[in-house]
Parts: sequence; structure tokens; C-alpha cells
Amino acid sequence: MASFGAQGQLFSPPLTPSLRPRRRLASSTPILKAGSSTPANTIKCDLSSSSSQNPESLTPKKPFFSLAQALAFSAGAAGILLRFSPVTPLVDIGDFSGGGGVGGTGDGGFWSRIFSPAAIAKDEESQEWDSHGLPANIVVQLNKLSGFKKYKISEILFYDRRRGSVVGTEDSFFEMVTIRPGGIYNKAQLQKELENLATCGMFEKVDLEGKTNPDGTVGVTISFLESTWQSADKFRCINVGLMPQTKPIEMDADMTDKEKMEYFRNQEKDYKRRIDKSRPCLLPMPVYREILQMLRDQGKVSARLLQKIRDRVQKWYHDEGYACAQVVNFGNLNTREVVCEVVEGDITQLVIQFQDKLGNVVEGNTQLPVVRRELPKQLRQGHVFNIEAGKQALRNINSLALFSNIEVNPRPDEKNEGGIIVEIKLKELEQKTAEVSSEWSIVPGRGGRPTLASIQPGGTVSFEHRNIKGLNRSILGSVTTSNFLNPQDDLAFKLEYVHPYLDGVYNTRNRTLRASCFNSRKLSPVFTGGPGVDEVPPIWVDRAGIKANITENFTRQSKFTYGLVMEEITTRDESSHISPNGQRVLPSGGISADGPPTTLSGTGIDRMAFAQANITRDNTKFVNGAIVGERNVFQVDQGLGVGSNFPFFNRHQLTLTRFIQLKEVEEGAGKPPPPVLVLHGHYGGCVGDLPSYDAFALGGPYSVRGYNMGELGAARNILEVAAELRIPVRNTHVYAFAEHGNDLGSSKDVKGNPTEVYRRMGYGSSYGVGAKLGLVRAEYAVDHNSGTGAVFFRFGERF
Amino acid sequence: MAYQLIREWTGIQQFPLATRTKLIELLGKLKQENVNTLTILVMGKGGVGKSSTVNSILGERAVTVNAFQSEGPRPVMVSRSQAGFTLNIIDTPGLVEGGYVNDQAVEIIKRFLLDKTIDVLLYVDRLDVYRTDNLDKQVVKAITDSFGKQIWRRGVVVLTHGQLSPPDGLNYEDFFSRRSEALMRVVRLGAGIRKQDLQDFAIPVIPVENSGRCNKNESDEKILPNGTAWIPNLVKTIIDLVSNGSKAILVDKKLIEGPNPNKRGKFLIPLIVAFQYLVVKQIQRTIKDDIKKEPKVPWEVRSANPKF
Repeated sequence: MASFGAQGQLFSPPLTPSLRPRRRLASSTPILKAGSSTPANTIKCDLSSSSSQNPESLTPKKPFFSLAQALAFSAGAAGILLRFSPVTPLVDIGDFSGGGGVGGTGDGGFWSRIFSPAAIAKDEESQEWDSHGLPANIVVQLNKLSGFKKYKISEILFYDRRRGSVVGTEDSFFEMVTIRPGGIYNKAQLQKELENLATCGMFEKVDLEGKTNPDGTVGVTISFLESTWQSADKFRCINVGLMPQTKPIEMDADMTDKEKMEYFRNQEKDYKRRIDKSRPCLLPMPVYREILQMLRDQGKVSARLLQKIRDRVQKWYHDEGYACAQVVNFGNLNTREVVCEVVEGDITQLVIQFQDKLGNVVEGNTQLPVVRRELPKQLRQGHVFNIEAGKQALRNINSLALFSNIEVNPRPDEKNEGGIIVEIKLKELEQKTAEVSSEWSIVPGRGGRPTLASIQPGGTVSFEHRNIKGLNRSILGSVTTSNFLNPQDDLAFKLEYVHPYLDGVYNTRNRTLRASCFNSRKLSPVFTGGPGVDEVPPIWVDRAGIKANITENFTRQSKFTYGLVMEEITTRDESSHISPNGQRVLPSGGISADGPPTTLSGTGIDRMAFAQANITRDNTKFVNGAIVGERNVFQVDQGLGVGSNFPFFNRHQLTLTRFIQLKEVEEGAGKPPPPVLVLHGHYGGCVGDLPSYDAFALGGPYSVRGYNMGELGAARNILEVAAELRIPVRNTHVYAFAEHGNDLGSSKDVKGNPTEVYRRMGYGSSYGVGAKLGLVRAEYAVDHNSGTGAVFFRFGERF
Repeated sequence: MAYQLIREWTGIQQFPLATRTKLIELLGKLKQENVNTLTILVMGKGGVGKSSTVNSILGERAVTVNAFQSEGPRPVMVSRSQAGFTLNIIDTPGLVEGGYVNDQAVEIIKRFLLDKTIDVLLYVDRLDVYRTDNLDKQVVKAITDSFGKQIWRRGVVVLTHGQLSPPDGLNYEDFFSRRSEALMRVVRLGAGIRKQDLQDFAIPVIPVENSGRCNKNESDEKILPNGTAWIPNLVKTIIDLVSNGSKAILVDKKLIEGPNPNKRGKFLIPLIVAFQYLVVKQIQRTIKDDIKKEPKVPWEVRSANPKF
């Protein structure tokens, strides 16, 4: 039964229902189950060797570690499983017990001797397999082997009868054998193996013989005759997904020639019809051409060639992310055209289901359209499943921050042969959370040095009500103080309501309404001394107010925000007294409170309402971890003339940043990032009423590095320019930069001229070098005004 | 402080007869021009003899002078009337403290002068100092910044300690002219007077000697080594300056605080907003273009259209 090859016939032996061995050829790649009737046809998709049970998915979510989120792919039982576990706590119970386990083995020498399985192992081993019980070095036919013995296979040899030589393990046929040297098999298993090899269509003839070894093991020689067909010069690839498998009619052994002819003709006709019905493949022309070249070079179509073609086609699919695509068949052999049948993995259904903590399917709170709008349309019914689309879905859903665990899982569709059901399994986060955390606070002191404020019980009380009505609306509030014993000093609160999908959840326009009520306290950079000026008494700017804005997201990075702000600004001195004017230290050592006015009203308390708009155009992307592209931000605050002294102003800022890639590099994981030149310009200006707290401060880590916040001045109009050259070094980069900030002579246009009062230059440059160490930037910056340099450590990026 | 009694100018009686006659004559000239008050602002670094000069002019100890301690940080206005004519002299604290111009002192002076008219500025320095430095320039600049450049049209540079014996090889006139030249250069720099404007800003330089040991001539007038009686000379210069056609400086809020930058360009805001609206629209359009142009990943393009 091993030789087939009827004219125009399927390459696979259609007479046997078992397609298993052929399918299993590709068991190392993720393939979906083909859906044949026998359970043996189930093929597991193994993406990686990692275990399917990802312990991370069981860990509770803590928003704190959101940076440690990782994409984890693991093999599912029947398909590819994209699993997303947003949380990777640094220490969890699992790790702890693991550590304990290590400790146990460390000092467990004694115990291990007692409980060592090694002593028993020998007995077990001898019982595991049986000696062949025959004289050594004789050749035994498979059917001569005893059906009751378990044979240990010492080696497997492949003997090519056509070539008359033994083929090496690198030969493509080798992967078709499931038995392994050193394994233990009984006769039935070996027979099954042979049967499988015989029916896979690769061989015209195949035999299995044993050779007895003196130590009781058996060496196996598989001798075969490779199938060949007439040469072909055309190649065609068809998508047979969702089509029923051909169910060939049994060929009766005692058919007359005429009947046989009829039978073959019928089959040919059926196959033509099948080809016509099939859908075109995604396979692009270059690959076609490549395969044609292979056919032309080879001359005769051999089983090995077909294997090569299969590998090439599947490689293309898998490289492009069509992880469920699989070559299932070659047809039309012995004609001029080779037909390659592919199941591409068409999505027949998209299922979104919610799970509780134990993994039971539950009715979720989240409304399905909220999830559905995050899915790329390539995951919808009718598209070919692509793992990249799956990843995209995973990322998008994760950005909703509603789920603790997300799985995108393609599963073969039992009812539709070759179809894929994409299952999205979601574990919802707790809707309501409340948190109390207490801490000591470290505040930036003078000159940006961290200072331990005091050892007082401080902390945050926060609550969150997420995903209200299942539409991802949320209310969150928090109260922070550095001293719970005396909270009136620095109570910071925030209450925010977020309302996404303002235009409806089905509308593609993505606008989010945010309303919040807030307060904040910041050290004013306006009341800072220049170089050589003794400490200037600080002014704190307290803001409290309400804000409502609408954000429209155009892309993940580009967005437009507009809204209204109403706030009360109070300026206070160090001892929390309201101060309408800045203070200065007199040369005599006294303090006089007649510096520049802090507020517009002159009372130390301003109220104002203004409209705010901010548009960000961000085309940046990551090239091997280096940011490349451009980012432009334009922001306008328009005073409405409502408030103390009827503030009417227009405050505008334009920031342009270019990240210029200096060298073309190959993209891919582990490849080095390109050197990047960063050019940055920032213009800020104000027309109309300008209170000191809204003046633009020059100097500081986000303005002109090498200076303290506001050390260069506070002005009505400013211009900052910067250039930075980043050179990748190993996993990080070093950089050199030069920056300049200028008040454009507008310091005097700020009431009271705080720049001059505190003896600041109004302009300044700096240059320096630095290195990025994880999240921290360490840099040495030279302040050009005084010519002195200093080392700074900063968090985050400058641009 | 705001309203001080205007006292009779009794000090004038203390002057020798010759001086008195000259003064009354000069003041009478002023009265003929319908000028009834004269306000003189005296400014300069600390310890150069501002207060002494004031006392000398008035002929009485109107303001306290202490040899070692600088006067109080407040300006003082002394008003004296003589036959329906009022002379106001404003003595100010020294502007320099710790090597810097004391902004606060300037500030206080400005506030003190609010709503007053300054007819003449006396910028006082010493004759017996050989050098000028940047600090002098800063002081002049501070005065200019406070009251505007125009005040120098009514400015007189007064050099105290006028009775000195110049160093070897120089006669008094030479020394005086060189010192005043050096000082004038500083004033020109500090006040930002350009060369072509020099004609308009002909600032007279007058030496004075406040010391009691000042030489006197036969009519008992205080004289300088070159023989001029300096008090009448100074008053004459002042009065000449007043009648030279330039305007007195009225110190008002605007002058003190400068133009209100918060008011400037306010009427343009609606236009600016309109322009910004267009900018935002333009950026929005660019973003839409970006989205269109964004390179698509092959799998996105390939299965853009479902097959069934």
C-alpha cells in the first residue's frame, strides 16, 4: 500500500483516513488542528517550550509595578496563546518558595542521600525494557519481533535504497520519524511507526528491520525508496481552509481497467473543482518565483523537494506572523503543475469572554464594544489570523487598564475545518479599590538636592472606582499629606472623573472628557537667586481649582486637548503666610518683603479662569530602543478676563523636537540602536496680564541644564534651544549636549522684574556630557555663565 | 513726612552779604520768570558729601551729617521759603551698598518722589578721587533707569572737597578738568547719552567745598582755590539750567513703574487667538496626513479586505 502516484492524484494517500504523519511533519511550528475525524489528527501548536501554565497570570494586580509589564507567550493546549500578565511583582510568594527550595538542596546532602532515587533507579531501569533475547548481530524483520517485549532502541539508521547509502540525521526525512534512539518501544508501536511512514506518501516503499546488539538493545534500520513524480514547471498555491477535506471513494482492488480509468477521471475532475472553489493564497510573487526555481532546478519532483517547498511556504507564512497557516497537502502530482494546499487559518469567529479569578467564565462588567473597538480589524471574522494582530490586540486592550490578565487565544474551529476561533479571555480588575500608603517624604531642597523633609507619618489615601457602567468611566480621588498629624499644612487632594467615548462607544472618534478638582503646591522658580546671590526666601505657589477638558486622541501619541480651568492661586512664604510680594535678603541680613509682586491682584491671592488648548503631534517611534522622529507641541492658555483684576492674557508655547537618526540600522531585537541627534526648540510668550507665577522660568533640568530651576531668570518671552547627540553604547547610550536659554530682553516686562531683583543674567548656555543608566541620567554639565561644571543625576528624559 | 512745614529760609541770613545779595538777585530773576518753587534732588554714592552740600546751600544744619555713619535710609526733603519763593532740596541716602547699587534704596527714593517735580538733579561725587569705575556707571544708570534720560538735561555734577591741592606737577585747573572729564565720560556711558546728543546734555560740573575750613575771600565768601565763590556759582548754574528750556521731571506712577507691560498689546489678543486657531487647525490637518501616510505593516495591508 505504500506506492501511490496515480496520474493527477493527490500526493497524500487518500485511501486512508489518517493524515496524521504528514501533518506532524510540521509539529515544531505552531499549527492548528486540521479537524479530521480521528483524534490522532489533533496537532498541538507549540510556540515555545515554556510551560503553558504561566504563574504570573495568577499573581494579583498591583498598579505599582505597571512598568514591569511583559508580554509573555506561552503554549496553549490547542493553539497559540498570547497571554498578557500586566503584573510582574518583584517579589511574590512563588519566588519565595523557590528560594526556599534552593536552600533545601543546598544543605540537603544528608537528606538527598537518604531519599536519593538513584539507588532504586537501577532496578527500575532493568524493568523498563526487555532484552531482545536473541543472538547478537543478527538482522530481525519487524514481524519477527516479539509482541510482548519492550525493546530498547539503540540507534536508528536511514537507508536510502535509491542512493544506496545511509542518510544522516540532517536529512529532512529524519524529522518524520517519531521513535528516538534510546527510547523503549514495543512491537505494536514500531509497526505503527512503519505504517505511518508508509502512508505519508513520501516513500514508494519503506521497511523497518532490527539488528540485535550484544547488550540486549536493538538497532533499527529504516530502508526506503523515495517517491518521485514527473517533473513540473508550474506551481500553484491555494487556500483550502474552510473547505471540506476530500473524502475519496475506496478504490476497489478488483476494478476493471475501465472502472479504474473512470475512477481516476472522476478524481481528477473533483480535484479541478476543488481548485476552482479554493480561494487565492496570500503567498506573494517572489516566493512563487523562488519555488518555481526550485522545481526547475530539481527536474523530477521528489518527496524531498516537496518537503522543501512545504518548508519554504510555511516559513514565509510564519515569518509574516500567520502562525496558524499550514501546508496540508500537495495535489496534482504527476502533472506539469504542483498544487500546494494551504490552510491559512481563517478566523471564523471572535469570542470575548470574561473570567473570574479562578478562571471560570463569567459575565463581565465591561461592555463588549469597549473591548471590541480596541481590536484590529484583522482579528475579525473573515481575516487570516495573524499573530501580530493578536499582539496588537493585546497591547490595545492592555492600554485600557481594565484587566489583570488578557489572553488572545486562537483555537481551531471544530465545526469549520481549517477555521480559527479567536478567543479573548479577560480577567477584570476590581472595580473599586481603596489604598492607604504611608511614607516618609524626601523633598527637593535647595539646589535640587533631596532632603528628608521630616520623619512624620505622611502618606496617601486614595480610592478608585473604575469602569463605571462597564464603559471605562472612572472616578478617582486621593488625598496626600506629608504629615497626617497636621494635614492643613500641605494637604494635596485630587478628585477626577474620566469619561471616555464621549462620542459613543461605537464612534471611531476617540474623545475623552476629564473633569477634576485639584490642588497643588510648587516652589516658584521665579523667586530664585542668580549665581552668587545668597539664598532668596522661597515663594510657594498653591493652586486649587477645577478643570474640565476634552482630549481627542488621533493616534496613540498625537492628541488634542482643550478645556477650561478655574483656579485660585495663593502665594505663600516659607512659613505659609500669604505673601503678596517676593522677599529678599538685605545686605544687612534682614528680610524685606517688598520684592516683585507675586500675584496680579497684589494681595497674594488671585482667582482666574482661562481656556487651555494643547495640540501634540508626535511621530516618534522606537528604532531598536532609540527614539526617532519628531514631536511638536503647541499650547495656548487664553485668559477670559474673569477673576481678580480681570486677567486677560494669551500665553502660548511652541515646542519642537526632532530626533534625527544618523545611521540606518537593521531593526530587530538585540540589534544596536542608531546614533541620534536631538534638536529641540521651545518658545514661550505671553501677551497681556502676566502674574509672576505664570512667567516663564529659565534654567533647570527641563530648560537649560546645568542651572537650577529659574536660575537664569523669569521672563515674559523665552526661547530655548538645545542639541544633544546620543551615541549608543552597549545597552544604553552616552550623550553630549549644548543648550541655550534667552529671555529675549523680556525680563523687564514681568512686573517687578524679578530677574533683575534677584540678580540673574536673563540668558545662559550650558554644555556637557552624560550617560543613561537605566532610568537615571548622570550628566556633567558646565554652566557657561560662571564656567563651572557639576555632576547631576536626574530621573527621566530631558526631551 | 509727606507734609513738612515750609519754614522761612533763615539760613540765608547766615551767608555773607555778598553771597546773600547774589542769591537774592538770582532768585529774583527766577521769580520774574514766574517760577516760585525750585526742587533740587541730590543723589550720589554714600559718603561723598551730599548732606553737607545740602547744608551748605541752605546755610544751616538742615540735615544731620555724621562723619562716620551714613545717614538714615530715608530721603529727606527740606523746604525753605524766602520772599514767596520756595526752595525744596531732597537729600537722599547713598545708592551704594556692599559694592552694588542698592535697588531698595533706589526704590525708596522713587516712592518718596512720587508726584513731585524735580527741577534739578545734583549728582554728587568727590573731586579728590582719581579714578572712576564701573560702580559709578551703575549708579548713574540706576538714576537714569529710574527717572529717564531726560533728567540729565537738568543735571549738575557736583564735586565736593573742591579745596584740594592737586598732586605734584598739576595745577588746580588741570586736575579739575581732568577729573570732571573722567566723570562726565562715566555719566555719558551710564546715562546712555550718545555723541550726537552731547549738545543737548551739556552737564555743568561745579566744585564745592563744604568744610568749615574753606578759604574765604575778602567779602567773607567761601572760595575755591581758583578764587570763585562757589555757593553763588552753584546757585547760578542751577538757575541757568532751570531756564534753559528743558522740562522739569514730574515723577508719576508711570515713570516709577515704567510702562505697564501687562497692558501692552492686550488689544491684539483677539487677533492672536484667531491666528492660533488657524495654527491648531493646520496641525490637526498635518496629523491627519501623518495617519494616512503612516507605513502599514504587511499583514495590515494584506488582509485589509475580508475574503468572505
